[in-house]
Amino acid sequence: MNKFFSNRRLVIVIVCLIVSFGLMSVSVAIRDKRSTPPLIQQFGNDVVGLVNRVVAWPVSGLKGSVSGFSDLMNTYQENQRLKGQVQELAQTKVHDQTISQENKKLKKELKLNRSLTDYAPVNANVIARTPSAWQNQVIIDKGSAAGIKKNMPVLSGSGVVGRVAEVNRTNSKVELLSNSSESANRFAVTITNKNGQSVHGIVSSYNRDKNLIEMGNVTSKTKIEKGDKVATSGLGGVMPAGLYVGTVASTGTDNYGLASKISIKPATNLSELSVVTVAIRQAQTTN
Amino acid sequence: MVRVTKLRYGFPIGLFLFFYLDGILGAVFPQQLFSVPYSMSSYLVVLWLVFAVFFEDQIQIPLSIWAAVAGGLFDVYYTGIWGIFVFVFPIVVALTRACYKAFPINFLSGLLVYFIDITVVCSLSYIGNLVVHMTSASFADMMVDSLAPTLAYNLAAYVILYFPVQWVFNRLKN
Repeated sequence: MNKFFSNRRLVIVIVCLIVSFGLMSVSVAIRDKRSTPPLIQQFGNDVVGLVNRVVAWPVSGLKGSVSGFSDLMNTYQENQRLKGQVQELAQTKVHDQTISQENKKLKKELKLNRSLTDYAPVNANVIARTPSAWQNQVIIDKGSAAGIKKNMPVLSGSGVVGRVAEVNRTNSKVELLSNSSESANRFAVTITNKNGQSVHGIVSSYNRDKNLIEMGNVTSKTKIEKGDKVATSGLGGVMPAGLYVGTVASTGTDNYGLASKISIKPATNLSELSVVTVAIRQAQTTN
Repeated sequence: MVRVTKLRYGFPIGLFLFFYLDGILGAVFPQQLFSVPYSMSSYLVVLWLVFAVFFEDQIQIPLSIWAAVAGGLFDVYYTGIWGIFVFVFPIVVALTRACYKAFPINFLSGLLVYFIDITVVCSLSYIGNLVVHMTSASFADMMVDSLAPTLAYNLAAYVILYFPVQWVFNRLKN
């Protein structure tokens, strides 16, 4: 026993290990429970983030010029394809406008000011991505100064890509749907089938190999088919309703054969993010 | 101690440049680096620390302290979880120093040392994340999806940057 403690190096190693595990548990606890990190961590992140933007500028410039060239090569084909879609879109847009006007009038009559579907968008640039396989996380250049709060949903392209995990004054960290951590992607979602019936549930895991998000513990008997649309339900927390999450890829039963499990194909490619939108819910929040 | 050479300013500037590049490259080339299910983690900041061990010669840079600083920033800014890289980076520096003493370092043996270093960084960060339940991936998944692509990327970075960084260090020392 004496020899063990006289070995100075071993003691240092053990102390380091204890400190390391202590720090990890404390920071995970803070991340899970508090809405903002400690002030000193926020300040550090803000300073580091400021320089990040300066360094990122020439790199993104270089990438912009390279991708500009390759985009130019694909332009003709893309143009042909998009022309068809634009005509369709114009129709939908006009229809959408009429409906939203009607919706506004009806809400006024019902004296409903802000319902679950209303949200204010805040656009942000992705300035860095965590170089780690275990945390699919990006850092965006807007923080609490722009009204962002923890757990707000983040959109890119046509759908939800993740949620805000940590908020500093001028930047925040966004955990993507593809995060494999056990508490990252619990979104309250609703699936509407072709008959207009809907199934509520929570996203429960992510399938790394197939790039699908999974919704487990579904006990409803409503028939869900491949291709049905999945959107956020707005139940609980700070999430607005009606944000597009993806489409149903397959349905099946879980490992025990009791409840059904639904695999969802995300609406946006999660590994291609440069500009994101944080949706700030306007209706009264529960926390 | 760092004598009054240009290295005094050059080393920290390089360290922070590589630190930022790790995150920025991931954000700028996400499809190349993070195509599902593989993910290449860029550890250029480790590369800079390892190169500093190789090229510092008589000038003793307090590398362990710098490694801890870089690791601390890495933890706070990139992962948001304290206590993993702040210890991993100094361990890597100590490991590289031990190898440097054990046998002469040249381009090829340096590549092997860096191979070991990256494996250590990946494994320890995996264990750290596993312990705090930030990941539920199995060891086999970690080897195939994360360690192998990360090694490929970082060793390629070593090969490309070895001679340019050597030149930079030689310029800064004189």
